[in-house]
Amino acid sequence: MANIIKVSDLRYYYPDGTAGLKDVSFEVEEGETLVIIGANGTGKSTLFLNLMGILEGEGCINIMGLTANKKNIKEIRKRMGLLFQDPDDQLFCPTVLDDVSFGPLNLGWDPDEVTAVSQKALMMVDLEGYESRTSHHLSYGEKKRAAIATVLSMDPRILLLDEPTSGLDPRSTSKCINILYNLKSQGKTLLIVTHDIFLAQEIADRILVFSEEKRPVAIGNYREILSNRDLLLKNNLIHQHQHRHDKEVHEHEHRHDYTHKH
Amino acid sequence: MIHPYTIVESLDPRSKIISFLFIILCLITTPVTRLKDFGLYFLLILAIASLSKITVGQVLKKVFVLIPFVFFIAIFVPFIKEGNVCWALRIGYWEFPVTYEGIWTFLNIVIKSSLSILLLVIASLTTAFPDFLKGLEMLRVPRLLVMLMSFMYRYIFVLLDEAKRLIRARSLRYFGSRYREQFRIIGYMVGVLFIRTFERAERIYGAMVVRGFNGEMPSMQHFTFSYRDFLFILGIIISLLFIVSGIIYNVEHWRIGHFHLWQTL
Repeated sequence: MANIIKVSDLRYYYPDGTAGLKDVSFEVEEGETLVIIGANGTGKSTLFLNLMGILEGEGCINIMGLTANKKNIKEIRKRMGLLFQDPDDQLFCPTVLDDVSFGPLNLGWDPDEVTAVSQKALMMVDLEGYESRTSHHLSYGEKKRAAIATVLSMDPRILLLDEPTSGLDPRSTSKCINILYNLKSQGKTLLIVTHDIFLAQEIADRILVFSEEKRPVAIGNYREILSNRDLLLKNNLIHQHQHRHDKEVHEHEHRHDYTHKH
Repeated sequence: MIHPYTIVESLDPRSKIISFLFIILCLITTPVTRLKDFGLYFLLILAIASLSKITVGQVLKKVFVLIPFVFFIAIFVPFIKEGNVCWALRIGYWEFPVTYEGIWTFLNIVIKSSLSILLLVIASLTTAFPDFLKGLEMLRVPRLLVMLMSFMYRYIFVLLDEAKRLIRARSLRYFGSRYREQFRIIGYMVGVLFIRTFERAERIYGAMVVRGFNGEMPSMQHFTFSYRDFLFILGIIISLLFIVSGIIYNVEHWRIGHFHLWQTL
């Protein structure tokens, strides 16, 4: 299969000179789910902003055969959707329907079509009947799903999702994972940023690990990566700590949301 | 058929904005000496309210929040305004003269603003804010202004929540200090709030841009201006004409054939 995303030697420095990304290179195949894991502040979100052309670093980004530059960026944004971590950033319109139809209307689709895709997007995230609700009055889980709908309504082939499950309760998390499964089965290419190892294990085809030096240190099949204890430990994705089992105290690694046996 | 008690709610926001603006315009340009006119305006506003499903309680609750502000601003006017003194308030050693002109100005402010507030409260109770914004946009109010209001409506609560969290975090670790210290802390909090808002604005702009934002705020619902809207505006304008021109006071003298109109009604 063709590579739908190619990134080579991408570097980004913030205006004050701190490094945001260093030598990032990777490729993603069409229809693949790539989960990007890494501790806080390792540049995962910065990578997404670079891919969408909101931040401009040095290096080469190629998306669906288009090199990312000023001329192509609109075309790229039509085919690739970005979900922000905070749904309050994503939902900026007075009502949910305004938000969901914002993208399609900007693309210049005709109103009937916009209505149809908005309804479909809301249905996919299980929020039918929320059209005229005010975003502020939604629960966090609903906000998060409404935010996903705002991206889906544009029907992008690639989705960049920044922490889709963070801050959600267990039921909302599993709802969210179901939505992601659906998208995956539709053949969408998903890039998901998370530090939730459980989510990575559930949905990833391949995993890209970001280190605290703001660069990717490993990419590979999800089993391979998740079973590489040293790698995960070194990159702060699991940690060693003291643990008590009745009278015996010993030290072993700890993975959140990960049941371990002794 | 729309239920008679929800007519105002079902109107196009444009027709409400236009007709309410007309009423307020006539209201504030009426000389305060025509006290009777204000009674008629009040009746007109009551008539509008009776066509909606809002209750007296709802209206009073909102009106009583706003009117005290007007009252406290206006209460000092009779003492400040220069003119013919009619009475003086004595508090111990001091004497505060009250003038006729001051009393008229006081009445002018209180009556006009109370009626305007009443009308605005009815408008806000019968129109959802997003619809109101869309109405403004369709009436060609500058897009930037409408967008500004829309964002304010969307994010004022988010901001307030953020401020509330900051205040809570402060009070949990606050054990009393000197006044100067407190001002310093308030300064920090305002600064933090500003930076957070600024950063949020950047993220929101990012979210808009990736979804194809290019300066336009497209919107889906297209309201239709039906015959009912037309009738509503017409009705309001006719009643305003009656009030402003004073014809309404002569209605009883009108004749149709040999009968007084008043008697036939």
